[in-house]
Amino acid sequence: MDLTLIQRTFPFFLEAAWITVQISVLALVLGFLVAIVLVAGRLSTVLVFRCLARLYISVFRGTPCLVQLFIIYFGGPQVGLELEPFAAGVIGLGLNIAAYMAESIRGAISNVDPGQEEAARSIGFGRGQTLWFITLPQAAKLMIRPLGVNAVALIKGSALVSTISVVELSYTAQRFISSTYKPFEIFMVSALLYIVMVYSVRFIIDYLDNRFAAR
Amino acid sequence: MLTKKLKGLIVASTVAAAALLSTAVVHADDLKSIQDSKEIRIAMSGQYSPFSFANEQNQIVGFDASISEALAERMGVKVKIITTPFDGIIAGLLAKKYDAIIASMTITPERQKAVDFVGPYYHAGRTIVVKEDSSIKSLDDLKDVSVGVTLGDAHDKWARARGNLKVRTYKGLPEMLVDLEAGRIDAIVMDSVPVLVAVKETGQKVRIITPPDSDGGIEGMGIALRKNNPELKATLQKALEDMLADGTYEKISMKWIGNDIR
Repeated sequence: MDLTLIQRTFPFFLEAAWITVQISVLALVLGFLVAIVLVAGRLSTVLVFRCLARLYISVFRGTPCLVQLFIIYFGGPQVGLELEPFAAGVIGLGLNIAAYMAESIRGAISNVDPGQEEAARSIGFGRGQTLWFITLPQAAKLMIRPLGVNAVALIKGSALVSTISVVELSYTAQRFISSTYKPFEIFMVSALLYIVMVYSVRFIIDYLDNRFAAR
Repeated sequence: MLTKKLKGLIVASTVAAAALLSTAVVHADDLKSIQDSKEIRIAMSGQYSPFSFANEQNQIVGFDASISEALAERMGVKVKIITTPFDGIIAGLLAKKYDAIIASMTITPERQKAVDFVGPYYHAGRTIVVKEDSSIKSLDDLKDVSVGVTLGDAHDKWARARGNLKVRTYKGLPEMLVDLEAGRIDAIVMDSVPVLVAVKETGQKVRIITPPDSDGGIEGMGIALRKNNPELKATLQKALEDMLADGTYEKISMKWIGNDIR
């Protein structure tokens, strides 16, 4: 173990981890917004919207995220879509996680006791009102944990953007290995930083879950 | 008459489409856009010491990086070095993510179908690295064993073409050296310089087998550009030749490699 190597390179790993955090947070925000649209589609009374949302979800869950990133980054310019690596990474990860988040949100909504909806409708709430005032507040608690699982998966999956030349935590590690020839130390440092990030998210999720969902 | 009108419309739109297409085909040389932006974007893996690697300040340095800087300086533009994994480096060039690749890329007929090359800007030989106590003594012994190669490089092709080797691909040399030591592969097939540098650095006990020239003992490395860029190609070729002539190249080569590898 070369501890001084870890010490010398650690500041650069922190910078790289910051890139990973940025890309994950932005992808998560984008993913959440797209997921809301997808859920709206899934629950729509219009058949076309339901089908489109289903198609999106099956395509993005049914193909590897790596392939999606390659299509956006390498294939994009062929159809006039010129993106910087960072932007391509955020969009690729965001569109991908959106499909999973949509299913988490929809699952939470469908787990709310159907009696609640029936009761609301029977006292005169409209369909939209029922969703907004009765179902969603109850579903919100139920989606904390599944969305948290999505967020953790996203952070770990963000290592994939190293393949489209975003110099984040994983690619920084690989670059240092090629000049130091110490894969063990270097990968341990990056693994440690991933754990810190993942457990920070878990901590937040546990807090929210205890605060709102337990009981 | 409707049909006549329709015909006229079709003709008009065809002409318009043809005009649009022709302007798209006659695209400007990349040289112009580089000069306009005052910056040339050059790709390398950043994982190929001593040609391109991250130093302890996390800057990309090495032979390829220095050559890039010197070429840019002669063109009167700034250089932006982009690190990207070697297996996707040509795809990125074709997708216009950067203007050139200076990444110790062997000039092969196959690659020449996809890109144009300036150079060769240096020559290197194929090397076979085995453990010190290995039973592989020469190129003839290299059969029915596992060899490690870098994904997508010229040695990868070579090893597969031999047909009697189990080829394992890696992202970079460090991982291969670890696996050679661990016995997961019996040999590494690689350019000579990085291996020599790495082995000196790690002190790993290995033996180097140099195949005859006919088997890739000497290969030329080129600077890859997108096709149809005669002006950029000529400018870079001239800059390279000037560097070779006036001693700039030799200085860079001595600094990173320790001898002149032109």
